[in-house]
Amino acid sequence: MKIKIIILLIFTGYLSSCNNLLEEEMHSQLTDNFINTAAGLESAVVAAYQPLRQYYGNERGMTTTVFGTDIYTYGSDGSFKFFNDYSSQLDARNTYSQEIWNNFYIGINTCNAIIERGPTVTDAPEATRNMRIGEAKFLRAHHYFILVQTYGPIHLSLQETTGVQTESSRSDIKEVYKVIVTDLEDAITKLPATTGSYGRATKAAAEHLLARVLLTRAISTAAETTDYERAATLAQNVIKNYNFSLLPDVFQVFAQDNEQNSEIIFAAQYINSPIYNGDGPNNASRFFLMEYDVQPGMKRDLPNGTPWKRFRPTNYLLNQVYQNREHDVRYEKFFKHVFYANNEASIPKVNGTPKYTVGDTAIWLPGVELPAAVINQKRYQVITPSKYTPKLYPSLRKFEDALRADNQANGVRDFPMMRLAETYLIAAEALMYSGNTAQAVQYINTLRQRSARVGKTPEETLLHQQAMTITEAELNIDFILEERARELVGEMFRWFDLVRTHKLVERVKLYNPEAAANIKETHILRPIPQDQIDRTTSNFPQNPGY
Amino acid sequence: MQKTTKEWQKAVIGLFMLYAYNAPAEAAALYAKDVKSINNLSASVNSIPIVNWNIAGKVVSATGEALPGVTILLKGTTNGTATGVDGTYSLSVPETGGTLVFSFVGYTTQEKTFSGPGPLNITLADDAKALEEVVVVGYGAQKKSDITGSVVSVKSEDITVVPVTNASQALQGRVAGVNVTTSGSKPGAGVTVRIRGNRSFSAGNDPLYVIDGIPITGGLNDISPQDIESMEVLKDASATAIYGSRGANGVVLITTKRGKLGKPQLTYDSYVGFSQALSKVDVMNGAEFAEYKRESRRATGNYDDIDPDADAKLFQPVELESIELGRSTDYQDMMLRKGMIQNHQLGLNGGTESTKYALSLNFFQDNGIIKIQDMTRYTVRLNIDQQIGKRIKLGASTLASKSVINGYDLNPYDDALAENPLGVPYDEQGNLIFLPTNDGLRSNPLSELVPGANINREDRMRIFSSLYGELSIADGLTYRLNFGPDLIQSREGNFTGRLTNARRNNDPTAGTIENQVFNYTLENILNYNKTFAEKHSIGFTGLYSVQQRQFEETSINVQGVPAEQMEYYNLGSALTVSGVGSSYQRWNILSYMARVNYGFKDRYLITLTGRADGSSRFAEGQKWGIFPSVALAWNIQNEPFLHDVAWLSMLKLRTSYGETGNTGIDPYQTQGSLSRTTYSFGNTGVLGFRPGAIRNNDLRWETTRSANIGLDFGGWNNRITGTLEFYQQNTRDLLMNRQLPLTSGFGVVLANVGSTRNTGVELSLSTRVIPGNENGSFSWDIDLNAFANREKITKLFQGEEDDIGNAWFIGQPIRVFYDYEKIGIWQTDEAELAKVYGQQPGEIKVRDVNGDNKITADDRVILGSDRPKWQGGITQRFAYKGFDLSVFVFGQFGNMILSRIHDGDRTSLFGRYNSLDVDYWTPTNPTNAYPRPNQNQETPIYRSTLRYFDGTFVKVRNINLGYNVPTNFANRIRMQSLRIYATAQQPFVFSSYVSKYKGVDPEIDPDMTDVQTPSISQYLLGINVRF
Repeated sequence: MKIKIIILLIFTGYLSSCNNLLEEEMHSQLTDNFINTAAGLESAVVAAYQPLRQYYGNERGMTTTVFGTDIYTYGSDGSFKFFNDYSSQLDARNTYSQEIWNNFYIGINTCNAIIERGPTVTDAPEATRNMRIGEAKFLRAHHYFILVQTYGPIHLSLQETTGVQTESSRSDIKEVYKVIVTDLEDAITKLPATTGSYGRATKAAAEHLLARVLLTRAISTAAETTDYERAATLAQNVIKNYNFSLLPDVFQVFAQDNEQNSEIIFAAQYINSPIYNGDGPNNASRFFLMEYDVQPGMKRDLPNGTPWKRFRPTNYLLNQVYQNREHDVRYEKFFKHVFYANNEASIPKVNGTPKYTVGDTAIWLPGVELPAAVINQKRYQVITPSKYTPKLYPSLRKFEDALRADNQANGVRDFPMMRLAETYLIAAEALMYSGNTAQAVQYINTLRQRSARVGKTPEETLLHQQAMTITEAELNIDFILEERARELVGEMFRWFDLVRTHKLVERVKLYNPEAAANIKETHILRPIPQDQIDRTTSNFPQNPGY
Repeated sequence: MQKTTKEWQKAVIGLFMLYAYNAPAEAAALYAKDVKSINNLSASVNSIPIVNWNIAGKVVSATGEALPGVTILLKGTTNGTATGVDGTYSLSVPETGGTLVFSFVGYTTQEKTFSGPGPLNITLADDAKALEEVVVVGYGAQKKSDITGSVVSVKSEDITVVPVTNASQALQGRVAGVNVTTSGSKPGAGVTVRIRGNRSFSAGNDPLYVIDGIPITGGLNDISPQDIESMEVLKDASATAIYGSRGANGVVLITTKRGKLGKPQLTYDSYVGFSQALSKVDVMNGAEFAEYKRESRRATGNYDDIDPDADAKLFQPVELESIELGRSTDYQDMMLRKGMIQNHQLGLNGGTESTKYALSLNFFQDNGIIKIQDMTRYTVRLNIDQQIGKRIKLGASTLASKSVINGYDLNPYDDALAENPLGVPYDEQGNLIFLPTNDGLRSNPLSELVPGANINREDRMRIFSSLYGELSIADGLTYRLNFGPDLIQSREGNFTGRLTNARRNNDPTAGTIENQVFNYTLENILNYNKTFAEKHSIGFTGLYSVQQRQFEETSINVQGVPAEQMEYYNLGSALTVSGVGSSYQRWNILSYMARVNYGFKDRYLITLTGRADGSSRFAEGQKWGIFPSVALAWNIQNEPFLHDVAWLSMLKLRTSYGETGNTGIDPYQTQGSLSRTTYSFGNTGVLGFRPGAIRNNDLRWETTRSANIGLDFGGWNNRITGTLEFYQQNTRDLLMNRQLPLTSGFGVVLANVGSTRNTGVELSLSTRVIPGNENGSFSWDIDLNAFANREKITKLFQGEEDDIGNAWFIGQPIRVFYDYEKIGIWQTDEAELAKVYGQQPGEIKVRDVNGDNKITADDRVILGSDRPKWQGGITQRFAYKGFDLSVFVFGQFGNMILSRIHDGDRTSLFGRYNSLDVDYWTPTNPTNAYPRPNQNQETPIYRSTLRYFDGTFVKVRNINLGYNVPTNFANRIRMQSLRIYATAQQPFVFSSYVSKYKGVDPEIDPDMTDVQTPSISQYLLGINVRF
């Protein structure tokens, strides 16, 4: 009998303990309730910034904004040349259109969660909550703004997704802009003028972004009559009301370790720590660089960087935009002209003696043609414009990144998204279209004079500055576009600028020989990712022409 | 909760041990009482007047082993008993004399007359035929003739004849309905096993493996195939339903070799051999590469054939030199070597009546065909069975395994294929040149093989035990407790030195990932078997079990290891920590199961099973699932009307219907989780969390309903035996990673949606074409199996509507190739038409399906599926005197494959990386095969269309020639037996993919995304010695 009792005991023992065995305890993951706490809300706001890294300084963001324009075409390498030449491979299956779409919509859902749940997070002070909601609105507006410019009419989602959603639709760009503008207006009221943690959105950033949005909307089918005026006012606010200032030396704006300078209004943040530098990568330093590393006397090193030779300046950029090099230092400051020998083994020899030593000039790009006699005198390699190839060309220096751990490491520099120079250009354009050309010219001239060459004497400097000024008669949208190219080259504005001003097709045909044959009106929008169409249960039309 | 779990575990084990050691006397008393009462009962039923003779004795096998559980019946009555665990019995009979019938599974039934009381000892002879036909089923074993479900058995001879790393490879081509693919030839590579096709999208399609009664996770890579006595594949619902929620994909039961009664016997089994690549990938040589590079420039107008300096402008000095010298570097050749494989197993086996043991030591090593890839495994296995008293039996089978796999995650082969053949790998002093050309991305593939440059090493240890205690409670009634702890500890160490492609002369990186898995299974099984009135046999099995799996992992990655020889052994000394992580997972399953077998006159059999499983992984209210099944079988040959049909030895019709489940998803999926992001503000790093997965409160079991009809037949003294089966499986509530439009912020949600159906037919046939005799005359056997499975999706999210986003289509198999259809290359005279499509001559032309003069997403079509139309294997065995020869041929027909050799750099054709040596288009070579090289197209438009091929193949999987040394000679060298053999593994492959399209192996793991170490052939010599 004892046995039976024992067996019975064993069974009852099991039975009594079985029900809690089926309960799950989470230890290594967080559930979505976390966002309802103060700490959770903070972390969600941090996460809302993450899509910026998926775009700025990143290959997909740069590929879709830098080349395929009038000022940049493709270099020798890279898998996404069709974004430059607009060939039939630029279709709905391309991964960049898809990734940009996905990343920003993930970001939008994060913002929605913050905006919706923020007010109910009781253990955070109201002031903090409001500020965080302001940040989320700023970011949501930013994400939607990139999307609407890239894809046209898009799906609007203003509520956090809590269940399975398989329907989506395309809202008219009027609706989309309304959301963007409202969000930014709200953000302006909620955001502080300055922030204790550098890199978070501020009131100035929201004003600047709204100015840019209105400038864009003003010439679109969603235009409202006050757009230019409001844009001008907002831009002027940013210029006047905060402590931003144009740096006297334009190169200092892009000097490494000087990213937090007084010209920066808002920047996508990167950091020199492999643990926190994920979610990128920032490769901005690589795309513009020519193939210096296999030239005589050279090898690849960290200060010079990794030459991916993706983006090559067009002749238009070099010869027309940067025509004035006598008074304007921007070509000189923004491009690399000399490479210094760093590889003893490959220095050319004459009768067994090296022509030069490590540290001497190995490559010089004078930027102009030189007589053969002059070139022949040089011990080092001289690459004049006639010798430019898809691998050898003037390299943009704005994003040089020598402080990375090594040459395989991702970029560690902030990527400027809004800087005061652009505010000046926005103000000028908005004022010009509002009929206030006089003031517009003032902003343009202030900006231009900053880049005037510094002479040996104050008088000489003054002469250079005078040469940089333009008159009201000279101001028109083509001039502004050219000025934007001169100032903002490489900063991920160009494709948007050309689309905004309806000049993409015209200018690409004129100045980008690789793309001229293919580009057509279709290309003012990117294709809607095929995944979006395939996975949506409602009808989600493709952009025309794709 | 954890505390309680542990406490009762302890309690159970403690109680059992206490009981096992202290209670035998009382148990015996109880047992005696029960037997007596049963006897009394039967006596009264049959109205036998007086009981006065007592007959007692012992039943042993031919080897003298006591046989417990032998049924003893007084002929013509229901008066009977069974032997106890020590083989003894005692029975009261009327004082009239008569005949006792002794019967036991696997032994010839024996009758013995008696004419008075007294001892009656019996030796039962093995029934060779019957013994062969005992088949292990879930929670027990059955005679083959009693089986109602679809079960196929593979014996150790068939497993060890093929030299495999992973025992499941031995199933390949041997069992109808089982499809086995190996992922490339990397040592330690996993094996994919599919039983009757795929049914699940996301919950996994791997069968459940059960070793010595204990379900395991993580495959069979830790087990020496030589330790396996038999593998049983359970295919239909009747056989698998007792595994309930884990049975939907079929079950593979593995029984390891146990000790046998007798003197200690020492065995040594070994094979040694080499392996070589099945073939190399045909990439361009130097001259071909040079011309292809020129063509890539001609296409963009950057190569002027008239210009005498055209080459000088295009090529770098080293390339020019190679062109001039006609020099070409074959990196592939320099990377591959002859692999070496060896296996040694030492076994000791024996036992007394009370204690039996089997011990084995195994050493296995596979040095792959690429230098940095190898695997070494050591295993020790000890199986012990101990009889305690008359009613208790305890036993353990314990496996300890340690393995080291090197280079599993490294793939230098891919780089070798892409490397420019005009470069030179070594300088004049014979040192490796790190950058053989001035292409900064292409470092020397051979530098990846330098010792210490690249380390990827997995050290794995596993201790797996199956412990049991069995108690005979009463006649035919046993209680068994199984406990199966399984501990896996593994550490992956990675080191990437400066001179590797990943680091390209930058600081070395290193890292480790350690994980620990602890699984356990605790089962209580009650078994009852009884035959009444000689014609009603009843069996009952009841089960209560708990399964748990716990997984923990920690990882760390660093950069800037100060000295390369430190590898990953001092991560703290590195400059920066680039990543740290840890994770934890646990799930539980609780189960109750009952099974009833009833047989009438060995003719009509029925099995009913029901299992209830509760899983922690599902949502509240959805945790429990019930899995019933029913099976019927009719042993037609036992019908009286067939008694006269002498040639018919077996004819059995089986049918079954039941439900099984699939719970193969990760824990915590019902709780919406957040995902981590990184960012920084100024110089401060910050972490963010955002919605990462949608909560799904409705997650529940995936359920498969299957119906099976089978016919087992045998004739002419079993010269021909076979099985024919038809089945249909309908799986519903499929756990699917449903892809969502990203506008919702989520790309995917795990949900129960959709249904699939698998329908199939399977035929197995064994014939002894020429039977041999005991003198070793010539014999010839053929084993053949063929099977076809049709898999299709019957329902998706919106009912019968296709899901293009996932490439799931109603009526099609789960994986189809949905893409544009290549119809050729645009030719020069089609330039105008090409232009309509935005294309130009030399580019791939695809079909404009809807004829709208545009190629859009709507022009994609279903090109094919990777599911074969049918598959089959044929094994022929010849024997003469001491020699035996077996040839095993396997084939797969009518599937499409996605060839990675025709993908990636191999067909990018942009004049930078080396390419497959293909027939590409040029203005003077108007081929329709491959597009024109073009330096500006990193991938040709519609390149994906170049990857699809017919996957039909026939492979000679194995040829084995053996010789059994005559016994008298073996004895002379102090051996009982000696066999030597030679094996060729996968010597020949026949396939158009190989012969026409430069493929290497059409047997492709569909999940492979790049070109891995090529498939191999192996040639081995082996011996089996018994001392």
